Amino acid sequence: MKHPFQIIKASSNGEFLVTSVKNTVYVSSLKDGRLIGTWCDELDSSYTILKQHESKLKKLEEAERENEEGDASKKTKTNDSKAVKVPKIPVPGPGAPQIYNYIRTLELSKEGDILVLTTDSDKSVVIFKIDLSAENCLIQMKRQPLPKRPCAVSLSLDKKYVTVADKFGDVYNISIDEQTASQEKDLRPILGHVSMLVDIAICEHGGKSFILSADRDEHIRVSNYPKSYVIKGWLYGHSSFISNLHISSFDSNLLISGGGDDYLCLWNWYDEKLLNKVQLRNLVEPYLTDFHLPPERFLSEDSVKEISISKILTYRHPTSDSNLLFVLCENVKAILVFKIEKDYTVNHVQTLALSTSLVDLTLIESDSVLIGSKDTDSQTEIIEFYSIKDSGNLEVLDNELSKSISSSNKIEVNSREEFYPLYYINTLRKRSEH
Amino acid sequence: MASVDKRDLNVPTAEASNESKKKQYREKRKDFRDGQKNVSFEENAIELPRKRFYRQRAHSNPFSDHDLAYPSRPDSMDWSQLYPQFYDQEKKAMTSHVEIADIGCGYGGLLISLAKEFSDKLILGMEIRVQVTQYVQDRIDVLRRQEEDNYQNIAVLRGNAMKFLPNFFHKGQLSKMFFCFPDPHFKQRKHKARIITSTLLSEYAYVLRVGGVIYTITDVEDLHNWMAQHLEEHPLFQRLDKEWEEQDKCVCIMTNSTEEGKKVSRNNGRKWIACFERLPNPDDCD
Ligand SMILES: C[S@@+](CC[C@H](N)C(=O)[O-])C[C@H]1O[C@@H](n2cnc3c(N)ncnc32)[C@H](O)[C@@H]1O
Ligand SMILES: C[S@@+](CC[C@H](N)C(=O)[O-])C[C@H]1O[C@@H](n2cnc3c(N)ncnc32)[C@H](O)[C@@H]1O
Repeated sequence: MKHPFQIIKASSNGEFLVTSVKNTVYVSSLKDGRLIGTWCDELDSSYTILKQHESKLKKLEEAERENEEGDASKKTKTNDSKAVKVPKIPVPGPGAPQIYNYIRTLELSKEGDILVLTTDSDKSVVIFKIDLSAENCLIQMKRQPLPKRPCAVSLSLDKKYVTVADKFGDVYNISIDEQTASQEKDLRPILGHVSMLVDIAICEHGGKSFILSADRDEHIRVSNYPKSYVIKGWLYGHSSFISNLHISSFDSNLLISGGGDDYLCLWNWYDEKLLNKVQLRNLVEPYLTDFHLPPERFLSEDSVKEISISKILTYRHPTSDSNLLFVLCENVKAILVFKIEKDYTVNHVQTLALSTSLVDLTLIESDSVLIGSKDTDSQTEIIEFYSIKDSGNLEVLDNELSKSISSSNKIEVNSREEFYPLYYINTLRKRSEH
Repeated sequence: MASVDKRDLNVPTAEASNESKKKQYREKRKDFRDGQKNVSFEENAIELPRKRFYRQRAHSNPFSDHDLAYPSRPDSMDWSQLYPQFYDQEKKAMTSHVEIADIGCGYGGLLISLAKEFSDKLILGMEIRVQVTQYVQDRIDVLRRQEEDNYQNIAVLRGNAMKFLPNFFHKGQLSKMFFCFPDPHFKQRKHKARIITSTLLSEYAYVLRVGGVIYTITDVEDLHNWMAQHLEEHPLFQRLDKEWEEQDKCVCIMTNSTEEGKKVSRNNGRKWIACFERLPNPDDCD
């Protein structure tokens, strides 16, 4: 069977679909389903192990040097053998935890001419130019390694910079035009949280740019951009971690955020005003399973099933002029559809029940179509198309492209057990041990 | 008798290590902490019902592992519990707001010295260690009992200032922030754990008003250079000169009133001071 696509992203002009599986990216034409580009991260997990080994050695050397200094300045009482053990390069045994090595984020410019992704192997941001006339449309421009694993990226509005947020809370600005990568030690964060960052977004108000950054605590920060040392404010409204910041496609002041709470927040991010909270619990409840219970270690009599929001999309329907909101929750076999009214009230339109959960969801703006990546054992169709009706309702669309696009995925596995983690967002939840 | 349990007095991020600099430093601290245990109060003064009006939070994150309580936003913080005499029962509002913060206040010596100097301003100590916070709270309670009209303007809160300052303070609310003898975190790899970093300075600049001052003092020269350099490089701060330091009464107070500072004096140690003014935001920023 095929490994599901972990991330899918359609270009807004409906020309192509970018997908990722493990450490491989595919670009498929949405006109005829042909594979038009591919890229594979040739650095594998042994690279990570090697790097870790190197840094271990370095630390040992440091420690040794410091020991010597210490001996000189202070008499140490013991004199036990100081033969430093040089660790061997570890070879993961059969029971060793698997090192995952995959593409964590994919970002496509609005015009579909730049693709940015991040790798686990060397903790890099990789920037591509997309040239549909080339034999392989992915033209690698730059690979910039970072000190810590990157977990979210965003493009500056002028497309001159990629901003990357890392696991330790720092955000870096990487120039797209400057083709040589900077030395790691020369990189300076443009802003930082003392918490894991989960999403960032660059947005615009009155001709000025701002950067929104959301962390594993409940914080959403609004900073000026590029002068991000000037913080404009905070958006207070979440009580659990945040996983998604989405600037609506029809109103650049409207931010929709969600994560580990049972609700979404609608904001005027510039005025720092919470416009509405959209409760999801009642709608999602029928679809929750034992999967959604806390891990066994934290399970108790009164544990409730947990909702984690994995995708937020908005769309202004061109014929009905209605503003639609699509929401995906982790491992939930449904897509939720809402309508956002002029006064920011939000009305539920539909819950489209599905046969499988979706790993990711993307929108083809030009066609009023959504594409979902299915968590399925199917060998032939691992994506599905949905057409967006005037009313906002979704309908499953029979599209022969789904077969050809699915067939470009060459990553085969023997069973579901070999899937990479498809649902990771809930692991961001903070838990206390009792 | 308020005593501080020694087991709880570890520097929170301390890790077993044989690094010599760090070991020396820690031993120094230990003497100091043992000394603290001898401070005592009158028996009857300790009966402190504490109502925490903000929520309890779970821990588990890369940078701290504490069960911390913090308000969801500055407006939901109930300050009347900390400064009851500055609460107007009729208007149901505080008559004054915290303006001076001592970050990592330790045993509270600075708060107590500032109390009378700024009797009309609210002063808050923020400290991450539970037992130390408890100690300071007990100390303030006793002082308030002894002199009813004084010490009403100082209080202490348990909190992680590196993560949650914007949960407590509004934009530009503070006029002074003190960083006295912060934990040095000698190791290169631990530098992000330092309480002054270029990225954290942007948060401090956010809660500090234009013209407000960041005060730093330390007995560790490396740390002094680090703090001064990062503050100097930050576009929203400007160093205040020696002349200014000499005429500023807070510089004098912070040099001599914190427990760390006194200990350094007893050992004839040197102290490094650097103070910075909060500059206005650039015109093109909001
Ligand atoms: C809904 S998609 C997330 C897509 C992407 N993060 C985005 O912003 O569009 C979920 C899939 O992304 C992958 N993924 C993305 N970021 C990840 C992370 N930080 N940790 C683990 N998996 C991640 C997982 O394989 C997961 O199945
Ligand atoms: C070396 S002591 C100095 C105490 C006091 N300022 C003095 O001069 O006596 C540093 C203090 O900072 C506290 N601290 C460290 N990190 C902190 C944080 N993130 N938030 C609040 N307090 C912190 C420590 O618990 C410790 O009590």
